Amino acid sequence: MPKSRPGSGLPPRPRAGEGARYNGAGSPMTEDLAKPGDTRNKMMAAVPIAAEKPAARGSVSQKPSAIPEGTVIEFSAHAPKAPKPWKDKPSGSPRFRIFIIDSGWNSVARRVLRHNFALIRRLHKEDPIYLLSRKKSVELIHRHRWLIGRDPIFAVHDLRAIGEHGTSGFHGLHLHLGILRTPRQALTALQAFARFLREHRQSANLEADIRTGLRREGILGAVEILLHKVPRVIGG
Amino acid sequence: MLDRFGEVLSVVLGALALAYLAYEIDRRKRKLRELFHVLGSEEADISAELIGLVESGELQPYTRGARA
Repeated sequence: MPKSRPGSGLPPRPRAGEGARYNGAGSPMTEDLAKPGDTRNKMMAAVPIAAEKPAARGSVSQKPSAIPEGTVIEFSAHAPKAPKPWKDKPSGSPRFRIFIIDSGWNSVARRVLRHNFALIRRLHKEDPIYLLSRKKSVELIHRHRWLIGRDPIFAVHDLRAIGEHGTSGFHGLHLHLGILRTPRQALTALQAFARFLREHRQSANLEADIRTGLRREGILGAVEILLHKVPRVIGG
Repeated sequence: MLDRFGEVLSVVLGALALAYLAYEIDRRKRKLRELFHVLGSEEADISAELIGLVESGELQPYTRGARA
């Protein structure tokens, strides 16, 4: 009986000869990592020795029962690809407009934003993201000087609020990422912000949710701060 | 005399602890307020500028590689 790997509760994977490669469902990230110039021009799959039914894939037209157990099947590297699980097209109507204002300070917040921008974009694909150029950002900040040193800024406009009463009352929020000094602080704030926007897309009273959920206003907020429900690095 | 001094010291230390707690909560709340800034009528001019940029077509939604 083959030994199971220490530490894993999984049964040992059946071996079907040298070079047998596991061909299970890969995550999209690992699919993306496969490059065209890869030296692996063949993908191989082992037919399980156990009583599991082998999956018919690609150009294999034989009946599963006709394949002897333990046979290694070679699939062409050019076999038709499975459809991508991620769609680039937005799937819902936008609730927010997101502007990113960044005048280009050489700050940790800027680096964190650059490293995570693609993910932010994927998480908020329903909402348009407007990336201001450095020149436009500087011009804007020059006119509104209280913003100096607070960028990169995520300016989120609540389209529902703007549709109801314009910009005269509550109409969105800013994330002033530039006031944070360490990468951990910036990342935690960015994650809290992204999570909040996703969770409150359908909120009927976004302002109240921001005040209680992000800014921890009121006595309950004070208690939550004391109980460390807010990450300490961003002020909790 | 010593009992009285002990009582006063306890009260002072308790008040200091409470004051510190209040100060710390206020400091953290201020930081959160600064980090997550709610847009109201005071920021209407900034928002109007951004909306203007979008409506005039100067600013387009981000697509890979594009930047206004």
